[in-house]
Amino acid sequence: MYEIAIKTLIADRGKLITALVGVIFSVVLVNIQGGLFLGLVRKASLLVDYGEADIWVGHRNMHAVDFPRDIPTRWVYRLRGIPGVRRAEPYLIGFSEMTLPSGGYESLVVVGVDRESLLGNAWNLIEGRPESILQTDGVVVDVGDDAKLEYPHVGELREIGGRRVRIVGKSHGILGFLVTPYVFTTFEQAAVFSRKDPEVCSYFLVQIAPDADVDAVCQAIQGRLPDADVYPRNQYSRVSINYWMTRTGLGISFGAATTLGLLIGLVMVAQALYALVLDRIGDFGTLKAIGADEQQVYRLLLVQAVVLAFAGAVLGLLLVAIMHWGFHSDKAPILIPLWLSLGSCLLVTVICIASSILPYLRLRRVDPLVILQG
Amino acid sequence: MVTVPTTLPERVIHLRDVQKAYHNGREITPVLKQVNLDIDRGEFVFLAGPSGCGKSTLLAILGAMLTPDSGIVRILGQNLVGLDHEARTLFRRQKVGFIFQRFHLIRGLSVIENVCVPMAIRGRSSAPSRRAAGDLLAAVGLAGKEAARTHRLSSGQQQRVAIARALIGDPALILADEPTASLDAKNGQAVVELLRNLVKQQGKTAVVVTHDRRIFPLADRICMLENGRLTSDTCESIATGDHSENLPWV
Repeated sequence: MYEIAIKTLIADRGKLITALVGVIFSVVLVNIQGGLFLGLVRKASLLVDYGEADIWVGHRNMHAVDFPRDIPTRWVYRLRGIPGVRRAEPYLIGFSEMTLPSGGYESLVVVGVDRESLLGNAWNLIEGRPESILQTDGVVVDVGDDAKLEYPHVGELREIGGRRVRIVGKSHGILGFLVTPYVFTTFEQAAVFSRKDPEVCSYFLVQIAPDADVDAVCQAIQGRLPDADVYPRNQYSRVSINYWMTRTGLGISFGAATTLGLLIGLVMVAQALYALVLDRIGDFGTLKAIGADEQQVYRLLLVQAVVLAFAGAVLGLLLVAIMHWGFHSDKAPILIPLWLSLGSCLLVTVICIASSILPYLRLRRVDPLVILQG
Repeated sequence: MVTVPTTLPERVIHLRDVQKAYHNGREITPVLKQVNLDIDRGEFVFLAGPSGCGKSTLLAILGAMLTPDSGIVRILGQNLVGLDHEARTLFRRQKVGFIFQRFHLIRGLSVIENVCVPMAIRGRSSAPSRRAAGDLLAAVGLAGKEAARTHRLSSGQQQRVAIARALIGDPALILADEPTASLDAKNGQAVVELLRNLVKQQGKTAVVVTHDRRIFPLADRICMLENGRLTSDTCESIATGDHSENLPWV
């Protein structure tokens, strides 16, 4: 029966292509929309995800890594005495402006890191080294912000917050959710550029001892600093993402677009399968007349639906790979993890199987007697 | 009329007082009235009669596609009256081979794949089925056409494929619905001759619905239906020759 199912499916090329387009459309939509979404939300927690800190400590009710509120730097001494804390360093996130060669200016997010540990420093440097920020007036910018910053090159002098700076390195792929570029420098310089009191910082980045339990250390920190919020890295990453998701409606809009696309895919597959069945009422009547039972008829449809899903998923993922290769960029990253691809394949399989129910209900009404009636 | 005991092993079809009417709202149209029919193993019987006389309805009852309103329907020793949908499907699958007026071959399948369809429905493995189908296609004169697409065949060849398909599951009963209706005279004659020869060779029983008088000489018996009744005087053995002049509606 599997052979009959597959061969009759292939025989109706027009309807097969229509159904395949529906499946491919669904697979591409889920992967590309989902990939864009994941790429975008990843930006919301970029500093947290790559900051190499196990625990983030900040002002009470902190809700997004890019929007901190000042806390006293002196609290760091309380942290360093807590059992399980291997390292705790202040971290500064402030706002400033860079004066551009053309006479214009560009707003910046200035990130200040501890000179000793360089915890939370820029990563993925394509020019310069992480410790280059220790050079006098040294800052690291991202190559993705070249156009905004009018193509600064390493060694070039610029001005941030009215102070002279030297470009000492360039990173790749550190583009935040905000449209303002990140600039990495030392804690002290960042305080100057963003005109902050050096006695305050934005966060404490904590690394725990290898044998320490992160939740237990979090609890201990919370006990020692009751006025602060304390989150493990993953949790603060989610908090930061959630901030943008809920405040911007990003999740709803992406979700709605994806659901709408899936519905269109579902309708296309269902319509094509239904048309395929309508076109073959005589064949199904013949099968029933010569002894095929309802289960066999449904199994035949089911095989066709699963074959459609499999073929569509393979072609869809191929198209997704091509689109990823063509459209993925640092500014609009398309992150497609394996679970998303596998999930989309599972989803379209469910859609195809669901789509086969409607034509089956039509087939249930087909009486083999129609064959004798011509 | 002599009543033959239904328990005889040679008796393939035994109908008694079979009645069937179609209901359209309040309107009731009787189609079969008190039909009595006995057909033994090995017989090649034609059901003839004018259009609308109930031939196809009777064939549908014999093929377990339709249940009568009343009467006894015993086919191959099995009482079909009262069987549920699944049991009737199983009966058709195992006991009956069908040949349809318009062939009803499955589009997209090759000749040999079409012949193998009943075996696939029975869940039989592909290789032995293909061997059997190959032998049958050779028997119906289609050797070498196994891989051909059915729509590329002539009408006569398509009906030969349908005959092979009807025979492959080794059913005891072959039911053919107007098998020559879509064929020209020469092909119609050839196809029914072929069917008769295969049925006789393989010891099967066939009931052929037709009003094609050109093939009447090929029947062992012609049972004539008129206004829903089998007229007993024409339901008798015919050795050879054209007996159509005896049929009042021809």
